[in-house]
Parts: sequence; structure tokens; C-alpha cells
Amino acid sequence: MTSAPEALLALSDVNTFYGQAQVHFDLSINVARGHIVCLLGGNASGKSTTMKIILGLVKPRSGEVRFDGASLIGLSTPQIVRRGIASVPEARRLFADMSVRENILMGAFVRNDRDAVAQDLDRMLTLFPKLGQRLAQRAGSLSGGEQQMVAMARALMSRPRMIVMDEPTMGLSPLYVDRVLELIRAINQDGVSVFMVEQNASLALEIAHEAYVLQTGKIVLSGPARALKDDPRIRDAYLGGSEAA
Amino acid sequence: MSSWLDHTINGLIVGNVYALVAVGLALIFGVSRLINFAQGSIYLVGAYIGWIAVVHLHTPLPLTIVVVAVASAIVGLIIERFGLRPLQNSVRIAPLLATIGISFVLDQLVMLIFSPNPRALPSQLPDVRFQVGGGTIGPLDLLIAGVGLTSALLLFVFLRYTKLGWAVRATAQDRDAAMQMGVDVNRVNQAVFGIAAALGGVSGMLVGMYYNQIDTAMSLQATLKGVVAEVVGGAGNVPGAVIGSLLLGLVESYGVAVLGTSYRNLFAFLLLVVVLVLRPNGLFTSARQAPPEPLTGTFIAPSRPVNIPRWALWGATAGFAVLPLFPVSFYVLQTLINAWLLGMLGLSLTLVAGTMGQVSLGHAALLAIGAYTSALLSLTLDVPAGLAVIGGGLMSAALGTLLISPSFRLRGHYVSIATLAIGEIVALVILNWESVTRGPIGISGIPPLSLFGYDLISPTSVYWFSLAVMVVLALLQGRLLGSHLGRSFRAIRDDDIAARAYGLSLNRYKSLAFIFGGFAAGISGGIAAHLYSYINHETFNTQQSILALTVVILGGLGNVVGAIVGSVALVGLPEMFRIAAEYRILIYGIVLLLLVRFRPQGLLGTV
Repeated sequence: MTSAPEALLALSDVNTFYGQAQVHFDLSINVARGHIVCLLGGNASGKSTTMKIILGLVKPRSGEVRFDGASLIGLSTPQIVRRGIASVPEARRLFADMSVRENILMGAFVRNDRDAVAQDLDRMLTLFPKLGQRLAQRAGSLSGGEQQMVAMARALMSRPRMIVMDEPTMGLSPLYVDRVLELIRAINQDGVSVFMVEQNASLALEIAHEAYVLQTGKIVLSGPARALKDDPRIRDAYLGGSEAA
Repeated sequence: MSSWLDHTINGLIVGNVYALVAVGLALIFGVSRLINFAQGSIYLVGAYIGWIAVVHLHTPLPLTIVVVAVASAIVGLIIERFGLRPLQNSVRIAPLLATIGISFVLDQLVMLIFSPNPRALPSQLPDVRFQVGGGTIGPLDLLIAGVGLTSALLLFVFLRYTKLGWAVRATAQDRDAAMQMGVDVNRVNQAVFGIAAALGGVSGMLVGMYYNQIDTAMSLQATLKGVVAEVVGGAGNVPGAVIGSLLLGLVESYGVAVLGTSYRNLFAFLLLVVVLVLRPNGLFTSARQAPPEPLTGTFIAPSRPVNIPRWALWGATAGFAVLPLFPVSFYVLQTLINAWLLGMLGLSLTLVAGTMGQVSLGHAALLAIGAYTSALLSLTLDVPAGLAVIGGGLMSAALGTLLISPSFRLRGHYVSIATLAIGEIVALVILNWESVTRGPIGISGIPPLSLFGYDLISPTSVYWFSLAVMVVLALLQGRLLGSHLGRSFRAIRDDDIAARAYGLSLNRYKSLAFIFGGFAAGISGGIAAHLYSYINHETFNTQQSILALTVVILGGLGNVVGAIVGSVALVGLPEMFRIAAEYRILIYGIVLLLLVRFRPQGLLGTV
């Protein structure tokens, strides 16, 4: 299966195993340039593993992962990051004992243009004004919402072409959830493609262009987010009982 | 007469030396959660490189320091690249065992190249002392302090202001997240191993100059002291390691001032055990830091044991039993007796380390307790040797378990450190408790083995006796593994939190494992004492502990038959090929490295 020419990221026929257990069955996902694509699914559906596949943290047994036309298979995580993919990992994963400033700058680790990095740091502080007063603080001492801001700023610092996010709204207060969604939209409008993994379907479909639904390792549903939102199967599975507070 | 100020200065200087070792250990632990047991070997290598530079190349002091730092760093890089990087995706126990193997290989190579005799390492500085207050201080003291402070400053600048330094810190805090920032973790590992080795090597050279003497025994001592300092400061905590080192130096210096030199190491290990028990995360680590990570589950290579049919085992046993009836040489019997004695120790360790998951590095202490008990019972109380050996086994079971019990709340690497320290403490108590153990003189004239009034003097009778004892112990252990108790042991090894959730009391089961294991090891030590007729505090040393560990890994952790096969292989094969004694430890080290790399489950598989 070849990916459509306009796809920035294309996973095709990916099969992944943890030992004997198969996690993905012929998984195929396309992220079009400039789009927000969301992968929905419950616990143990293989969502987070999909992210790990893209980032090279887990190697698929078969299948292809292409970014901007070039294969990512066999590349190490740092190499993939250098190709222009940044990540906002699950549960933020900040460097807890480093300062907020150091955390944000760690995002620019792959860059060598010091002056531009300094400018980008200023840009982040206009995008995330709250972090301005927190720069010298230990990242581990921030609240969950503030940490999410740092994680997003950190990801943007590498000037990525695409950001992958693992459950960016998980564990946040409703106020921060809205803020994070707004920011994802803003980031996307700046030209960064977004691939996000989410459990909260209603929120994700709010901002996504396309969505895929993953169930025990298989894509069971996919299409434009607007269409999926009204799909009864989605409503039954996700929008009914598990509507987030 | 030395003043208190002198002791303080001495303590701080020695502490500085420890700090150079401990900081490297902390960096490595931070980045890869590994306690590098080869750190002392690099310190040793550094001392000998310094010796070559000073004595043969006549380098001036600044150049000597640079040469030692660079050469040691290269050794560190080689260790990282070829010893540890291939094990990245291996079981958690693998890197730990690899560093132990590497340290034995390096130490033995140094010994073979430079001979075990001590060498004088001149300090290259004028031998004058300045009066400072009530004490004196020499140029070498100032040099060591200067090197310590300069290194600390350079390290601070590196970690705080360089890109690679940031990468080191980020990797230490979250390896996966660091990779997702584009950090090449292999380069970070290289960096910390290079830095740790450079600091360790320079430290070894400075110590050599300080005492004007270097020898191969420095290595293990340095590893132990560095580990103590690092754990006291909190594993992976670089500033903590410096403070822990200075504290250790002062404690030792004052302790020696009060009680004498032979107590020096006792303070270090007691400090370690106290810190491990009361604050296992170190003195300066706040509670929010995660407790020592569980190394259970994947800690030991999972595998299916090789199934050996029962008749083959009985056949082999019968074959060995009738062996003395054939015209075999005294030498063969002697070798096999050693193998049976090591087999008993192997049974003990394979139960504790393999079945229970407590990788003990101080198992020789159990031998020593059994040996001294049995020897003293028969010499001072005229207990018949056969009974005395059983007394040795019981004492080893009781005392060994009691001594090791403080480490029951620890996991993974920490158990290894604690048992290593407890083993050293036992040896040091034997050395210093002269009224009972006769101290450094040792115990001589231990009567030969006897059974029901008959002396077992001929090699054949000793052979049968030790074979029979080992077979009985092996059968008992085989029964144990198949029982409910054996399953509980393995449950705790595989997941102690789950085991606890099912109501298993960890302390009780760990005690039981050490009681069984202590008994077998004590019996082995007791028989050895009567066989050798002379023992001292060095008869059962750390090398024996490592040999036992190699045996059980060779056979397959937890595998009863494997422990015996491993003993016969490691005792027998070097004899068969007439390998000179000084090469044996080297071979054990290489065997350990090859096993860890290519067959971590051992010959017969883990159980």
C-alpha cells in the first residue's frame, strides 16, 4: 500500500508485537500536511504504542513508517527527532529536577543556532505567558497544567514539522483542557502538523481534521472528524459514558 | 603525636580521594542505574599508568596527571563500548555482572603485567610539611585537595553550562524523554564513563603517591569505598557523593585515631549498613525521589531449564561415587573434593540469588562463619569433627541470616552492595576479634574430619563424605524448589509487590532462604576447615564469593544441578588444562563476561 502523496506521515501495514502478543494488526494511518489527526481508542488498544512506533522507541515487526517521503524504520529516536518530529509524551515527562527554562531549552537540543533559540524562547513566553514567572523554578514543582504548557513549549522549541502528543489533556482541570486545545489549534495554524493520541473523543474531535479509531490493535473506523462526531458508533462507544468532566 | 586537626586534615584528604571515585559512580548510576563494580579497577589502572609515567617516562607532575586522566578515560570508554553497550537490551542483572567480570579481568591483567608485589610510586613533590594551627599539612595534601576542588568545579561547569552536560542531567532524570529531545543516549553513556574513568584513574594515582605504594589489592577497596560514599550520599546524586566521601573520610580517620588501623574498613562498612537500613536513598535525598527501583521480574534471564532425565542424574552420581574404586590419582580426587565443596556453596548461592533473587556478593562470609565455628568447636570444646561441621552449618544459618537481615528491605543492586559489605564486616570482625578468632594468626591444627569415631583421613573417605553431603543437600534443595515454599520464593523474586499483596511476608521467606542457604554454605566451610587444618581471615575472601556467583550463573540461576555442574566445570576444567593459578581468576572473569553476553540463562537454564 503506498501512501497518498500529500501525507506528511504515513504508517502502512504496521504489525507490532510485545513478545508473543500482537499489539498492531496491519495498522495504516496517514497524517496530511498541516492537519491535526487524532487517534482514538480505549485502554490497551495500542494507542501509545503507535506513538512509540513513530518515535522509534518500539520497532514494528513489519510494515512501513514514512515521514516526508523517507522511511523512519531503523532510525534511532534522536535521528527521528532531527527529521522534524517533536513529542509531548504521556504524563508530560518533564525533567523534574531541571528548571523550567532548562526544560524548555532541552527541546532545542538538536539545534545549533543559539540566537534563534533565544528568540524562540521569548516567543514561547508570549505563547505561554504564565511560564515567564516560573522560569527558574524546578519543573517538578509545577502544577499538572503548567507542566503541560512546559511540555508543549519544549516540543515547539525544536521547530518541528510535526508534533506527536500522547493524551495531552489527561489529568488536567477543565480550565486547562480548554487552554491546551486552543494552543494545539494555534500551533497547527502556524503550520505544524499534529498527531495526537486521545481517550477523550469529544474533545479530540473538536479540533481534529481527521480521526482514526483503534480497537485492540485494529483501525475500526476512520474519516473526517466532523463525520465521525455524528457517527452513532462513536457516540455509543465514547461520547456516552466516558464524556470527560 | 598527631593532633585532632591532623586527623581532620587526613580525613578530608582521604575523603577527597574517595570523592573522585564516588562522583564517577554517581554519574554512571544516574545515567544508567548501574553500580559500576569496575570503578576500582580503573582506579588501579590509573595508579599503574601513573607509575609507568613517573618511574619510566619521568614525566613532570602536571603531565603525569594529564596522561593518567586521558589513559584512564580511554579504558573507561572501552569498557562502555565493548563491555556494557551490547547489554543494553539485556536483563537487568547483566550489566551488574558484566562490571564484576570486567573488574576481575582488569585486576588480573594488571597483576600479570606488573606482578602482585607492591610498587613504590614517588610523589614528585618536595617532602616538607607546614604547620597549620595544631596540625601539619604537606604539598601532596594540597595537591589532592586542589585536584578534588578543580574536578568538582569542572564537573559543575560541565553539567550546568555545556550541551552534553545538560544531556547527561536530562538522561539521568528521564532516559526516554531525553531521547525524544534528540539526545543520543550512547554518547551520554560514553561521556559519563570517560569522565568517571578519568577521575577514578587520577584518584588511584594520587593515593599511590599519598601512601608511596601501589598494589593490586587497591582495586576492590576503592570500589567498596566509592560505593559506600556514593550510597551514603544517595545513589546517583553527584553533590551527595562528594559530601558522603568527605564524611566517610572523616569517620574513618577519627575511628582509626581511636581504635587503630585494622578497624578502618569496619567503620566504612558499618556506616554503609546503617545508611542502607535507615535511609536507603542516602542522607541527602528527599523522600519525593522514587525508592530504589525494583529489579525483580526481568532481573534474571527467564528461560526454560534443560530437562535432564532422572536416570542420567543418578547414573552420574553413581559414576562419581564409584570413581575412587578405580585407580585414579590423588590429584583428581583432591580436585573433585574441591568441586563438591564449591558445589555446596553453589547450592546455597543459587537458592539465595537464583530462586530468591537476592544476588549476594558476600557469600564467602557464610563459609567463614561455618569454618570458624566448626574449627573452634572441635579445638576448644573437643566436639567430634562430624558434629562440629553440623554446628558450623547451624551457626552459619543463624548468624548469617541475622547479619543479612538488615538488607531484607533492599532490592536489586542494593542487596548486592549490602551483602558485599556484610561479608567484609565478617572478615574484619574475624581479623579484629583476637580473643576468639586468634586474629591475623589464624587457627591451625584443626583436627581432621571424623564420623562416629572414625577419622576420615584418606582422600577417598573425604571424597565420599563430601560427595554424600553434597548429594543430600542437593536432594533436599530439589524437594524444596518443588514445594509450596519454593514457589513462594520464586513469586517474591519475580514480583515482590504482587507477592506481598497475596499475603507473603517477605522477611520471613527471605530469612528461610538464607537459613537453608546459610546451612549449606556453613557445612561447606566446616568441612573445608577440617580438610585444610589451617584457616585465617583471608581463607574465605571476596574472590570466593565471586567464584560462587560465576558457578551459579554458569549453571543457571536457581538450578540445583546447574550449581554442581558449574562447580565441576570451574574447578575441574582449569585443573584439566593445567592452567596456572594466577590465570584462573582471569578466566573466571572472562567466563562471566561471555556468559552474561551470550548465555545469561547459564548452561542448564534458570529455574
